[in-house]
Amino acid sequence: MNPPAEMPVGTAPPPMVAEHKLLRLIDSGSGGDVWLAQNALGTYRAVKFVFRKSFPWAKPYEDEFQGLLKFEPLSREHDGLMDVLQVGGNPGSDYFYYVMELADDAQSGQTINPDFYQPRTLAYDLTQRRRLPIGECVRLGAPIASALGFLHQHGLIHRDVKPANIIFVNGFPKLVDAGLVTEMYQTRSRVGTEGYIAPEGPGTARADIYALGKVLYEISTGKDRIEYPALPAEMGGPAAARDLIQFNKIVLKACRTNPRLRYRDTGEMMNDLLSFQFCQRRPFEDKILPAYFSWIALLGGLVAGGAIIFLLWRMVSELLHHL
Amino acid sequence: MTWPADDFIPTRYSLLSRLQNWDDHESWRDFFNTYWRLIYSFALKSGLTDSEAQDAVQETIISVARNIQKFKRDPTLGSFKGWLRNLARWRIADQLRQRTNVAGRPMDMAETDATEPDPAELPDSAAAEAIWENEWRVNLMKVALASVKSMVREEHYQMFDLYVIQQWPASRVARTMEVSVGQVYLAKYRVLALIKKAVSTLETSEIQIA
Repeated sequence: MNPPAEMPVGTAPPPMVAEHKLLRLIDSGSGGDVWLAQNALGTYRAVKFVFRKSFPWAKPYEDEFQGLLKFEPLSREHDGLMDVLQVGGNPGSDYFYYVMELADDAQSGQTINPDFYQPRTLAYDLTQRRRLPIGECVRLGAPIASALGFLHQHGLIHRDVKPANIIFVNGFPKLVDAGLVTEMYQTRSRVGTEGYIAPEGPGTARADIYALGKVLYEISTGKDRIEYPALPAEMGGPAAARDLIQFNKIVLKACRTNPRLRYRDTGEMMNDLLSFQFCQRRPFEDKILPAYFSWIALLGGLVAGGAIIFLLWRMVSELLHHL
Repeated sequence: MTWPADDFIPTRYSLLSRLQNWDDHESWRDFFNTYWRLIYSFALKSGLTDSEAQDAVQETIISVARNIQKFKRDPTLGSFKGWLRNLARWRIADQLRQRTNVAGRPMDMAETDATEPDPAELPDSAAAEAIWENEWRVNLMKVALASVKSMVREEHYQMFDLYVIQQWPASRVARTMEVSVGQVYLAKYRVLALIKKAVSTLETSEIQIA
């Protein structure tokens, strides 16, 4: 394999990846380096390298590898998770890597030009559009909530839900960054991103729900998560404002400071999102006043009214009888 | 020991005391969250670009870290507010000087490392002081507001924000949020009371700098 032509200053040459040709470094951060790659069939992939030197000691590095091993088979069982296709290296070496499906290109979608490729993430979309219509927020939030729920059901926590970790594959939103996925209640040295971290700290399903709530806040209001819970001054017409306020109720319930007041699980959150999407039903409202409540109230009113008329009639007739 | 009467804007003295321990990461984080916007806004209004202002914030915080151990709360030496202003001004002057060096003459590293640059290179003193004073007050309100956000129910803050900060009519807030006008007034009252309390707490914090 030839060394890549474009090598950023300060970045070590990439290690070998079986049956893949590394083309270009597309992201580099504290979590590791991500390369654009091509497999033997010519399919473009993303390869993430995690280096031992990025960790202060061996334990979190080994934990990250173990988390990845648990995540890898699950990732391909849910459409809302980025598929991890191959894992290489081992925690005893200087690095390990994993091969993932590639996100759409920010400009050209599924047409990939390796020289200009830029992954389409939700963070990128926000820089271009600032704010998404509520219908789109719901369509994006539901599969991500579902993906989180799938992780939680398998005893895993994502720990770093944020717009940069939501990518689009064939236009469908998926959750990425398996690096922070860990078993519930396990401690980690890397603990997510400021503003998305729940007040009680990361590491629980409800902390993931909090982070997702902050993402939904950002995409629905166009405001930075730091401004939460302020609403935008410009809400559009009456219908758009009504949608925003109803969607805002879902956001607020996901982001309550007290974790016990948040959604119990992602299933409950999904219910509200899907209710909103398909029924245009107001979240929470029908839980307080079920549909049959109005019929019961009407029936009760008729019975009470009839009883009052009957009593009045009795009183009047008795009065007339005495006279 | 009391603080000088003209130093209206509070300084979080207990926080400053804790900052003398470099390993107290939480206090340093608290300090950064409290003061970075103030320094950043001051830098922008002193003529720096966004990236230069960000550098000035970083350098000012580093200067605080280097000098906080020496900082003694003594009215004759000046207030924390004045001390921080001077540090910020010097670091802003560094940025302006670097801009000049990049544009023409070679950079003198010894000069850029100086703690106190030539006063002639600093932004106009009276104007800078007025900007700093204004930014200090604005920052105080922002810090108080940020602390109150986490203390009230989110819906109440949203009503307060729309009604008081964004200045919507109460009836419009009520209609949009699907509540009564009375609830809007109540939210305003509750949040304002907490903000006043937060400001008061900041202003009267105990001085614990040894």
